[in-house]
Amino acid sequence: MDKFLTFTIAGLSSAAIYAIAASGLVVTYTTSGIFNFAHGAFGMMAAFTYWQVNVAWGVPTIPAVILVVFIIAPLFGAVVERVIMRGIEGASDVVKIVVTVSLMVALLGLAQVIWPQNESRPVPAFFEGRFVEVLGVRVSWSRLLALVVAGLVAGGLRLLFTRTRLGISMRAVVDDRRLLQLNGGRPGRTAMLSWGLGAGLAAVSGVLYATEQTLSAVTLTLLVVNTYAVAVVGRLRSLPGAFLGAVILGLAQSYVTGYINPDLTVGPIALGNLAAALPAIMLFTVLLLQPEARLRSHSVGRPRAPVVVPSQTTAVLGGVALVLALAGIGALLAPADLILVTKGAGFALVTLSLVPLTGYAGQISLAQMSFVGIGAVAMATWGANGSPVAVAASVAVCAVIGAVVALPALRLSGIYLALATAAFALFCTAMFFNQQEIIPSGSVQVPPLSLGPFTADTDYRQLVLLAVLFALIGNLLVWLRRSAWGRRLTAMKDSPVACATLGLNLTSTKVGVFALSAAIAGAGGALAGRTFTADSFSLPASLPVTMLAVVGGIGSIAGAFIGGLLLGAIPIASTVFAANAIGVFRFVAIPVRDILSFTPGLMGISLGREPDGAAPQIAVGYRAVGRSVPALVVSVAGAVALWLAARTGVVTKWGFAAALLVFVVAAVPLLPLVLSPARPEDTAEPPRRLACGLWLALATLVAVAIPWADRIASNGLRVVLMVVAAALSARVGIGVLGVTPEQLRRPVPLSPDLVGVDRPMLRADAVEATRRMGLSEDDFEAEVAALASSTNGAPVGPVTVPR
Amino acid sequence: MSGALLELRGVRAGYGSIEVLHGVDLVVPPSSVVALLGPNGAGKTTTLSVACGLLPPTSGTVLVAGRNVVGVAPELLAQRGVATIPEGRGIFPNLTVRENLQMATFAGVDLRRVEEVAYGRFPRLAERRSQVAGTLSGGEQQMLALARGLAVDPAVLLLDELSMGLAPLVVEELYGIVAQIARSGTSILVVEQFARTVLGVADVAAIMVNGVVRSVGEPATIEAELSSAYLGG
Repeated sequence: MDKFLTFTIAGLSSAAIYAIAASGLVVTYTTSGIFNFAHGAFGMMAAFTYWQVNVAWGVPTIPAVILVVFIIAPLFGAVVERVIMRGIEGASDVVKIVVTVSLMVALLGLAQVIWPQNESRPVPAFFEGRFVEVLGVRVSWSRLLALVVAGLVAGGLRLLFTRTRLGISMRAVVDDRRLLQLNGGRPGRTAMLSWGLGAGLAAVSGVLYATEQTLSAVTLTLLVVNTYAVAVVGRLRSLPGAFLGAVILGLAQSYVTGYINPDLTVGPIALGNLAAALPAIMLFTVLLLQPEARLRSHSVGRPRAPVVVPSQTTAVLGGVALVLALAGIGALLAPADLILVTKGAGFALVTLSLVPLTGYAGQISLAQMSFVGIGAVAMATWGANGSPVAVAASVAVCAVIGAVVALPALRLSGIYLALATAAFALFCTAMFFNQQEIIPSGSVQVPPLSLGPFTADTDYRQLVLLAVLFALIGNLLVWLRRSAWGRRLTAMKDSPVACATLGLNLTSTKVGVFALSAAIAGAGGALAGRTFTADSFSLPASLPVTMLAVVGGIGSIAGAFIGGLLLGAIPIASTVFAANAIGVFRFVAIPVRDILSFTPGLMGISLGREPDGAAPQIAVGYRAVGRSVPALVVSVAGAVALWLAARTGVVTKWGFAAALLVFVVAAVPLLPLVLSPARPEDTAEPPRRLACGLWLALATLVAVAIPWADRIASNGLRVVLMVVAAALSARVGIGVLGVTPEQLRRPVPLSPDLVGVDRPMLRADAVEATRRMGLSEDDFEAEVAALASSTNGAPVGPVTVPR
Repeated sequence: MSGALLELRGVRAGYGSIEVLHGVDLVVPPSSVVALLGPNGAGKTTTLSVACGLLPPTSGTVLVAGRNVVGVAPELLAQRGVATIPEGRGIFPNLTVRENLQMATFAGVDLRRVEEVAYGRFPRLAERRSQVAGTLSGGEQQMLALARGLAVDPAVLLLDELSMGLAPLVVEELYGIVAQIARSGTSILVVEQFARTVLGVADVAAIMVNGVVRSVGEPATIEAELSSAYLGG
């Protein structure tokens, strides 16, 4: 009985912490419409700041708590709202999720830079050493404190949201931001306040938690998954529901720890980690019990810039070019670099798995690396000889698991799917990847594929295999996108309601696309042909995959490749820059490697400004190249010539890298302008094509000739100089040409439907309309003359259109 | 100074690269009801958005009581006596009736006064004061929206499509209240697509077509012109 009471009280006190955290999450969600995945990271930052202030600087407890909980954390929340969240108001679910997830990853990286992990940071409990007796059980004052604070939070929030104008306007701003403005309220200030309040509550829970457990950035950040599970009980909106959820989870975890023998096993799975998996189990159970979400016929959101779907021919050519390019570059690389590039190509396959799911169907997954892990483990178990049958089986297993994971969440909205996948990732780590029986000693070796005479047993062969796979699956996806099923996915992304009224079964479509996505990710694992650590399948490893895929531009295959490159580039950059640091006035030197650890997060946050990702923007610069045959020929010939020169040893590898960079960044986008014949619409000062062409050739040759490796000792400086050289060459090239690409682009004629809507119709519009109707300009003149004579010579005004 | 409470001069505005208003001139004299009529897509709602500060004009001026208010935030205009009831229901669906009324107090009237006016004029709202506004009927929702315009006693009231989706009897009742608000000294600009009801209440009517005000005059004169404006004659 004493044991039961002890665990009940322990459970209730952690329930109190969950309840406080969840109420902060619910507050920001209901008042800003943004589900803050970084909520746990806010709490984590607060806990570390509290340690810094209280322990490291020796500020007494009460002022330290006031400083962190009431000043720093709310200010931080308000700044986050103002700088980041305001920009994504009205954006799609995917963008909102990716931006807050990125914030979480960036904060995690930042915390690990400021407070390195190699030091233990104990935070003293409040009222250390003071206890009371409750029913014969000793309870520490700090546990009681958590309960009291939770009670105060519950009462305070209820009062705020139902009795004060401020609280009510926080709720009003979600309903209709503009209407609140028209009432005289200030939505901007209200939103900042609600984020401040949310961050303050996160800080309370973070500090309370830190006094009970050891301070760990990852653990505290991932505590947010417990908070989701708790908040989902109240459908993410109800505070009493969240409190109830907190009690259930707190008690369940406590009893599992108290009563289940950690050595107990079910099949190969030990139950020691069950407490860690409980939030995920609870989240799934609650999602299953939820009634299906009603489809809301809200108005169509911001129209996205249309992603151009490439033709199958373009996709095939692109695939061939990719394979050739990777095979060519791979042949030049030193073994250590080759491994990194191969890893990058593997990541590209994983980001590619998000193209149908996120890009086409607008759904999101935060567990892609878990599927990679399942594929890898299955392949290691069944395919020791690298047999393709084992690959097929591994992929099939991933597809089935993907469908099962998606099913409970898909009936609900996008945010629930993100939650379910995050929970799934945690569940897999606790119950599957961290199991000694399944991944012994924490690493798994995936056997290389063996297909008839071909075995991917070297890194170079592996790279080529991955490039071919990427090209094949990319082509398959383009084909799918152009099929009826692909149109169905896009339609579902645009308007689920409209699809449902057309008789489309949303659930089966979503399950199908999720299974496809899981299968591609699984293939990425089964065919990786390398050793993985169990860590690389965890939730923190999956998050950057989704983030960078979206940053790359998930609507297109090229975007997925860019996302993969970004993912691959970070380990490469941290090797290249290993010895470099950025100094601030010689006082602080931040190693570049540390800065790189939170760049993925920063890139994701920047998405708020450019929701379509990088690919469409980059494509604009290069699309003209595809349309101009001479430019295409020169581009390919230049790249091949550089490669041959490097291969034969005429050019050093660093020279090759620099020249390729200058060529691709500066020369290729300008080539269509340089090589196109003079056109009538050229201005009085025609572009200096010849001079510009010569400059670009010269810049490329100079880049080849510079003895990079001999003259510049530091790798990092070398890369920075190369990038500067490429940017300068491009700038000077545009200067020499005398016009920018934008100025030379033909103005897009406005659709005739729009003429008259945005401006009065002019004579030129009428001529253009006549031309488009298949009549000549002479017909127009004749018509105007006839009209003029019929109106007795009265002039035909600029807005008169012959009917 | 003409003494107009609200005046738009040469206002051009639009969304993105598409200009919708091509130079709108409109005057709302003190204590009068001006009806702004016109077919779909004429730019009536856009004109109202410019007047209440939600959409900044690309050129031209908006004068409230003779002062240029271009660039003034909508919430400041609202606090200083320009009340707007936007298209659709001008209410917060997830707040209760009473909480909706509390939102009206940003304009400087205390809650007790707002409730007094609102419940006095619409007893049905008093019965439903704790009900969530989204569950009210369409007419009740519009009453709630109008109650705000009534209670804050604004200098200028901008009304957009009050009749949308409501039964004719309800519309008539609502416009009776509009007339009453006008008698208390408020200047009102009403946007309507369906003109009959509002012309009975209006002092002046204006027809808007293709982003410009085509004609302004007595309601009776304008009524005769309406069909040609709507049918694009």
